Amino acid sequence: MVVNLSTTTKSTWCPGCWNFQILAGVKNYLNKKIKTEEDKKNYAIVAGIGCHAKIFDYLNLNGINTLHGRVLPTALGMKIANPKLNLIGFSGDGDCYAEGMEHLIHAARYNSNIKYLVHNNQVFALTVGQPTPVTELNFKDKTTPRGVKLHPINPIMLMLSAGATFVARVYADVKQIEWVLDEAFKHKGFAFIEVVQPCLIFHPDKDYKKYTYLLKDKKHDDSDFIKAMKRAQEFDYGLPTKNTKIPLGIFYRTKRPTFEEGLSLKK
Amino acid sequence: MAQRYNILIGGEAGQGPNVLTQIIGEALIKNGNYVFYSRDYESLIRGGHNFNTLTFSEEPVSSNDSKIDILVCLDEKTEEIHKKDLKPNGIILKNSKENMYYAGSIFKLLCLDFKLLEERLKKLDKFNENIKNAKQGYDEEKKNLCRLPNRNENNSFMNGNQGISEGAIKSDLGIYYAYPMTPATPILNELASKDGVKVVELENEIAVINAAIGSSIMGVNVMVGTSGGGFDLMTEALSMTGIAEVPVVVYLSQRPGPGTGVATHTSQGDLNLALNFGHGEFSRIVSTPGDPKEAQELTNQAFYLSQKFKIPAIVLGDKHLAESFYTISEKPSFIKINNETPFRRYNSYETDQYGSATENADIIKANVERRLNKIQDIKKEVSKLSRYSAYGKENSGNVIISWGSTKGAIVDAIKDMNAEFIHLKYIEPFPEDIKEKLMGKNIILVESSSTGQLAGIITKKTGIFIEDKNKILKYTGRPFFCDELKEEISKRFKK
Repeated sequence: MVVNLSTTTKSTWCPGCWNFQILAGVKNYLNKKIKTEEDKKNYAIVAGIGCHAKIFDYLNLNGINTLHGRVLPTALGMKIANPKLNLIGFSGDGDCYAEGMEHLIHAARYNSNIKYLVHNNQVFALTVGQPTPVTELNFKDKTTPRGVKLHPINPIMLMLSAGATFVARVYADVKQIEWVLDEAFKHKGFAFIEVVQPCLIFHPDKDYKKYTYLLKDKKHDDSDFIKAMKRAQEFDYGLPTKNTKIPLGIFYRTKRPTFEEGLSLKK
Repeated sequence: MAQRYNILIGGEAGQGPNVLTQIIGEALIKNGNYVFYSRDYESLIRGGHNFNTLTFSEEPVSSNDSKIDILVCLDEKTEEIHKKDLKPNGIILKNSKENMYYAGSIFKLLCLDFKLLEERLKKLDKFNENIKNAKQGYDEEKKNLCRLPNRNENNSFMNGNQGISEGAIKSDLGIYYAYPMTPATPILNELASKDGVKVVELENEIAVINAAIGSSIMGVNVMVGTSGGGFDLMTEALSMTGIAEVPVVVYLSQRPGPGTGVATHTSQGDLNLALNFGHGEFSRIVSTPGDPKEAQELTNQAFYLSQKFKIPAIVLGDKHLAESFYTISEKPSFIKINNETPFRRYNSYETDQYGSATENADIIKANVERRLNKIQDIKKEVSKLSRYSAYGKENSGNVIISWGSTKGAIVDAIKDMNAEFIHLKYIEPFPEDIKEKLMGKNIILVESSSTGQLAGIITKKTGIFIEDKNKILKYTGRPFFCDELKEEISKRFKK
């Protein structure tokens, strides 16, 4: 029996948006894990605000569509209350790298057992196209007619240096999402997963797939921190050129006690 | 009014005035006295000038006076600063750097049993050194200040923060979240020492309140604690609890603002903040305990009401209540908390019946009205609780009104005066029936603020206006003294 994970809410993502791929990948993964209505109670989702967050309305699971930028502390509170909960957090690059940056750094340090997908379309899409902290240099919109003069941050390097125990990047592709969630749930701790999904409306290049390669094809050793940092540097979040290389897969994984484990009760 | 005695113990931070005050206070209570002490300290760790003022009497006391009977100087600065406040026949104890020397002196002065001191010192480190100093102080003191009642009443000694913590524990608190901020910080220590409560410190107040919301939707009783600045950071998330209907208890311990203000002093300047925080329209509870017993009961009621109506409940305290020690002679009563918060789909957006975001006009209207109508049920439920207390002369033409920590000084001040005092324990929902008690009376407001915020609320809720000249306001960061307030109140009596 397949448990229904869909809602009746009509999707309002743009036709062809990469978010559909992410939703399908998440559903495929969850359908393998959730076999009964009872199983469903062990899963929860948390989303922020932005295009990514509409996924909350299309997934029939408990949880909360919280405030802009607050996915991680909200999810942390849920895990502290119920450490057995299987929890997926969803954010966009605005939600995570702009409004919620302070929580991201600490989430890497806390290592709560949360699986976190950042839908990175490199733009504030739902507010019609302003630059985020990962928008490429010289990107133009109505608010930046002379182009963006700031360099984008590199979230993979940031997460590595902040002590994240699982750092991955995938493309917004059903199979890759399904695969990475499987790997992330095998990992006990915080799993940071960046999903590349260039915005079809506000981005000059709508498909980065052709610039990507798989880390496992290069026999990348994901237990080697230095090699992970080197691979992370390969993509600088600039607008891709014919020389751009975007590594996909797991950059790094290691083991450390979770936040919840550190909060044992003296009863 | 029975004689009140005031002991001021001053010194540098780190010299141990707190432990000395605590030991004297506990011994006086054991002998059947009523004791109250407040702490005045600076935002520094070593040096500076800190002092505690301890007031005791045969009758209940809950405030200090401005004039001192015994001045204990752990350093020279204490004498310089406080000598002017010493009564003509007051006693100065000085010339020793050892705080337990003074414990001995005071035990002798007040005819307290030295064995009580010896037993108490066994609970501290460095017993041999302390007992030697205490004995020396006891033997060298030749004066005898007062006759003590020497009753044994088994009263307890508690500060407001302990009251808040105890109220939360009695409400089956599961998780306490906080970012350290004076004067709410001691709650972290208080609760961390209890079994069965998770105490979690996160990166900032925004994380704190959002994590609390995350835990609350999983069916756990949660509380957060902070002061004005931290509370400001929490208000966006608290607004979300208004639409998502998530219960959460917030302990807002006031200190003078705006901005960083005065970190280690007291204020009642955040009443309007507690009543008006957050964008959008939603219900909330604001309760205002006046002593540690009320702190216990109102914190417990905050859990009860917040769970029952799925709304935020603010327990509004301040530094004076939080850190002052009061003699507690009555047992508080508690309501059992049933957490029935469902694990479902929550949303910061307006939602349809499936918990998904909606922009449908009819659904929005129905949701807004459903939440709005809660206020009637909340009012009904709160009316079953004690929402205010009246003290003094019931039919007096002079009515003093206040809320929160000013209670102690007012109750003490009006003991022999022709005045009634109404102390509000709930400001939201407002006990509108106090209108009957105020109509046609000479109303005097007492508040630790510069604007007298309660006056505006009374006018809004009852139509009754309080004249500016009848507002007794103090905004130095220091609490009201009993004698000071007596004078201020009597000036405002109708001739």
